[in-house]
Amino acid sequence: MRIAIDILLGLGVFFILVGVLGVNRMPDVFGRLQASTCIATMGTISIVIAGILYAIANAGETVTYVKLAVLLLLVMGTNPISNHALCKAAYKMGVKPSKELAIDDYKEDDPE
Amino acid sequence: MQKPSKFLVWLSTFIFCFLFWLLLTWSVAARELILGGIVSAVVAAFSGRFLIHHQAFYLYNPVRLVILIFYCAIIFLWEVIKANLSMAKLVLSPKLKYEAGIIRVPGSEKIKSEYGLAMVSNCITLTPGTITMDVAEDEDGKNYYYVHWINVAESDREKAGEAIKGRMERWIGRIWK
Repeated sequence: MRIAIDILLGLGVFFILVGVLGVNRMPDVFGRLQASTCIATMGTISIVIAGILYAIANAGETVTYVKLAVLLLLVMGTNPISNHALCKAAYKMGVKPSKELAIDDYKEDDPE
Repeated sequence: MQKPSKFLVWLSTFIFCFLFWLLLTWSVAARELILGGIVSAVVAAFSGRFLIHHQAFYLYNPVRLVILIFYCAIIFLWEVIKANLSMAKLVLSPKLKYEAGIIRVPGSEKIKSEYGLAMVSNCITLTPGTITMDVAEDEDGKNYYYVHWINVAESDREKAGEAIKGRMERWIGRIWK
């Protein structure tokens, strides 16, 4: 059990590191937003599962698991909305991508 | 589609809020239950009409709930792990391969409701490497997602759609319509 918890925590930290590195290395706003999704998904999932396993191993109360699960649900529910809003707002404001987009259907069609 | 009656909308939202309250407090003391009931009733009265538009008790169906839980725990988790690994490979490689583009992918015929569209686009956004920027409908009532894709591997739109959301969309089509 102890080993599983350690592996999950390590995975979570690794993916958070990947997210942070991505935010630093990506050349433009959109790429940075994409990389930051790693932190909110794999980072949170692994660390929350590790927390649940820790609570089970140490005979924690049921409240602990339920609250951790609700925490995961809230993070996963709110992250995509803010990400989508930021990405769309950056595009509409006219933020330039670092180089020409390979394909840009959004500009051609221009809904609304 | 006819609108559900006000009372059903309120009741459905009330049940949802009350279950969430029970999850958050995790106690069945009388004080907590009464307080939760009052708060849920007030919240449901104000916000029910924003939450529920078509059928009030659509999701309170055991089959759909089981599929929803199975989808979140297995299918979605697998897609997220795959996307995360490819993102990690991309970020950790010395030469950053960055070929971004915004691609219009056609949505499935089955998913028409707002909930289904919102869930598909949120799932696309949650997998690293793709962000949904907009959902639009053409004259024939077909839905399109505009997806910012970090590594445009496929310029054919049907195949790109299959690569981005194929399996997730099929499963969501079994939950929402």
